Formats: sequence, structure tokens, C-alpha cells
Amino acid sequence: MRSRYGASPLHLLAHLAAFALAAWALLQALQLGGWQRIALWLAGAVVVHDALLWPAYTLLDRLARRGRPAGWANYVRVPVGISALLLLAFFPVICGKGEGTYTRVSGRTWDGYAARWLLVSAVLFAVAGALYLVRSRPGSSS
Amino acid sequence: MRATVRRRHAIEAPPGPFRPEFWRSPLRGPWLTAVLGSALLVLVGLVAVTGFLSHAAYQPDLGRNALVRPDLPLTTFFDWPTGPSWLYALTQGVHVNAGLVALPVLLAKLWSVIPRLFQWPPARTAAQAVERGATGLLVASTGFLFATGIANMQYWYVFRFDFVKAHYYAAVVFVAALAVHLVVKVPVALRAYRARGVLAPLRAGLAETVPEPDSATVALRPEPPTISRRGLLAAVGGGSLALLVANAGQSVGGPLREIAFLAPRRAGGFPVNKTAAAAKVSEAMVGVDYRLVLRGGGPELALSREELLALPQVTHALTLGCVEGWSTRQTWTGVPLAELARRAGVPDAAEVAVGSLQPTGVLRQATLARNQIADARSLLALEVGGADLELDHGYPARIIVPGLPGVHNTKWVATLEFRA
Repeated sequence: MRSRYGASPLHLLAHLAAFALAAWALLQALQLGGWQRIALWLAGAVVVHDALLWPAYTLLDRLARRGRPAGWANYVRVPVGISALLLLAFFPVICGKGEGTYTRVSGRTWDGYAARWLLVSAVLFAVAGALYLVRSRPGSSS
Repeated sequence: MRATVRRRHAIEAPPGPFRPEFWRSPLRGPWLTAVLGSALLVLVGLVAVTGFLSHAAYQPDLGRNALVRPDLPLTTFFDWPTGPSWLYALTQGVHVNAGLVALPVLLAKLWSVIPRLFQWPPARTAAQAVERGATGLLVASTGFLFATGIANMQYWYVFRFDFVKAHYYAAVVFVAALAVHLVVKVPVALRAYRARGVLAPLRAGLAETVPEPDSATVALRPEPPTISRRGLLAAVGGGSLALLVANAGQSVGGPLREIAFLAPRRAGGFPVNKTAAAAKVSEAMVGVDYRLVLRGGGPELALSREELLALPQVTHALTLGCVEGWSTRQTWTGVPLAELARRAGVPDAAEVAVGSLQPTGVLRQATLARNQIADARSLLALEVGGADLELDHGYPARIIVPGLPGVHNTKWVATLEFRA
């Protein structure tokens, strides 16, 4: 069995059990209204990460590091990464995407999200810059 | 043997990421993946458990509470407790915030194993093909859950399908795919920990950062390191911390709310989930003609707000927790539900169906269980913070039950139907 399948029968049985449960849930989901969009979002999640997000940040990182001394890469990519992460996770509030719904249900408005994101990003860049200055001073230990 | 296999595939593989020489980071390897995977497992474990607890907290076996479907297997085998009153605020706060904290760990984990996506040939054995199918389900369901959860907590209903149902079924796919992923990968992670030590590689600074010994994700032609492994993990942790600080204040409530600089519910004061206007409840509906209809054992009772105020009143500080992960603690005054059950002629009621003046929407009604009616702190609240309820907070009367999901604390209550 192992020689032809490539793993023990337990491997196959565990996967079949998982596939059966997942198939039940997917069949339930595909009976919902808008099932085409559910399928699109499931496939889209993989495509957006593997074909957009990962290539984009990898390429940006390589371009930014090309021909520059290795010492300062992290002072740029860590604050840029955290700032980008905040944008990724809070894109709907920062860009006001859910504001219409929020105002309709709660009677309130969203104010200053983009400004606070930019301010926090500015602080991150400033702190990284200050750290770089301190650590690259002649006579600094690191 | 390994080298000849690799060389042969390097010739056959398409150019780019399908060739092992493409991968240059000296950090990738089984130990790094094991550490990121372990952290991710703890976090998504918290998210999954609290997610399914939230499903149970809605008590889908009662009345018309079920939002997914009423006959789901393994849904409720315990009564959702009424204490502490911040129970649901805690479980749902953990759900949303642990999800946000997990996001950078998830991205780093995917980065650490992405060479496997392009392995050539795509599968050498049937077992590998089966495993890749399960990994595909895991990545798709994880991405789906994070994307829909993040959009939903920010009121961006761009997906245009039923969030609750789709998020639930995707979570079942996720649990199935994760379970089998653990069966396959826990031994791999344990081997990496045994070979390298659990924490020992953290001692290496940049100068000592070298590739791990040969394995599928270790680069054949590594570049010099630009960051140590502990540096990478610290950066990931920094990202998680930033997301936590940006949001967690709305989950705790009180003065911390305004520190949460990107939380959708950071505005001060007593938040309104849904205004009377949005629920289509007008001033006319809650005027002098308003009556609360009590049904139970005996004849139907119709009580005006003045008659409700004349009943015994109690005051309790109770926390309302929303499924979106925000909470608010207020001091509520009103008639205990147990008192109303007695007056309805069902002193030991098994459940009560609560109906709202709100004319439409699945959450215009909710059914509560015996333990919730019996808790002395469960109220038909008439006042909050020592003043009459405002219309947006449910005037003339609203339910407030400790530990109950926010939207089940029905506002603008019109009917209470107690059943023995």
C-alpha cells in the first residue's frame, strides 16, 4: 500500500474523513443564496494571497534592497510592513468602505481613521529613523 | 540521491519559482515554520473555539434563534451560562482580537512554506496530491474566514452573501482541513524541534543566522541573511501588537475605547448597535398606546409603561457584548424576567419568546432559556444609567440578560411569550 500510495493507509483515511466533512459544509454553503460569490471568495482568497500579495511584497522588498548595504533594510521594511498590515486589516475603516452602512445603522459617522493611520505610520517611520541614527553613529556597539 | 533528484527536476521544471534556485531566503526551513505554525495554531484555536461558542451562545435550538439552520448536528449540548455578565463580551472579544493578532502570523507562516506551492513536479505520489488538496482547502477556508470576518466587523458587506451562514460553513471546512493538516505536520514540527531545539535558534543573532539543514523549504542557493530569525519573529509580533492596540479598546470598552485608533466602534459614549430609525421603529409606535403583551398560562396581559414602572424594579451593572467584538457596560434598571414570568402565570418558565416592535429583520425576535429567565439579573430594562431608555436604546422597554449576545437583548419589546 505505502509503495503505491506514498504514505500509510491512515494518511489516506484521515484525509478522506476531512474531505467528507468539508464536502458536507461546502455543499451546505453552495445551497445558500449567492453561492457563486461564496465560491469566488473561497478561490479568491488563495489567488489574492498567492498571486498578488506574496509576489507584490516579495518584489517590493527585493527592489528596495537592490544595490544597497544590507544594514539598513530592516529599518525600512519593519515600519513599512506594520503600516501596510494596519492598512490591510483596517482597509474598510481607513478608506471609509463601510461608512454608509455604519452611519445608517448606528447614526454615527467615522472620523479621522485615514488621518490616524497616517499619523501612526509617521510615528513608526520616525522611530525607525531615530533607531537607525542612534545605532549607526560612529562608536555605536551595533 | 537527493541531489540527483533535484538536478533532474531543475532541468524539467518551468523557469522561475518552480526551480529550487529561485528561493534565496536563508531563513526558511522546518524550524521557522514549526515556530510560526505553533503560534498560529494557538491563535486560530482560540478563534475557532470562541467562534463555535458564539454559535452556541445564540442558542440555535430555541424558537427561531437559529441563524444557520435549526437542525445542525453537534450544535448545543449545554445551556449558555448567564455569568459572568461579560462572558460573551470576553469570548467574542477574544474571537475578533485573536483573529487580528493571528493575521501577521498567518502571512509569515504562508511566506515560510510558499516554495511548496511551486514544488515540481506538483505531486510525486498520490499521497502528496491528496495532501495538496487538503492544504488548498485549508488556505482557501482560512483566507475566506479572515477576509469575511475583517470586512464584516467593519460593516463592509461587499461579499453580498449571508455572512453568518457562510462564515459558519467555512469554519467547518477550516476545522476539517486543519485537523488533517495537524495529523500530517505535527510530526514534522516535532522533528524540527527535536533536531534544532524549541528555543535554541532564537539565540542566533544576524551573524550566526545560517540556513537550516537540507529540507524541501530550505534554499539551495541562499543569500546572506538580512535579518535573524528572532528579528523576523519580533517583527511579526510587532505587527500583531499594532493590530491588537488598534482594535482591542473597543472590546474592553470604557476609556480604553478611544485608544483603539482604528476600531470601528471607538467613538465615545454609549454605542448604538441599531437606531430606531434603522429598525423602522417610530415615536408613534412607542407613545401612550404602547402596551407590553404578556402571554403564558392564563389570560393575556397588556401592560403600559407606567404599569411596568409600578412593578418591583432592580438595578444591575451588566455588560453588553456584540458579535462584532465591541462591548459596553451600563447600569440597568427594570423588572426581573422571573417576576414577569410569575405574572404571566408560568413561574418556572422553560423559555420565553421575545418579540419587538421592530417590523422586519431576523433579529426582531429572540428566544431565551430557563436559566436566563431564572437569573435575578435578567431584566426587562426600562432605564439605563438612572434615566429613561432613549428610543435608540430600546425605549419603552428592552431585554438585558447577562452573558447574552448583544443582538438577543431585544429592544422595543412588544411581546413576551412564556412557555412552561
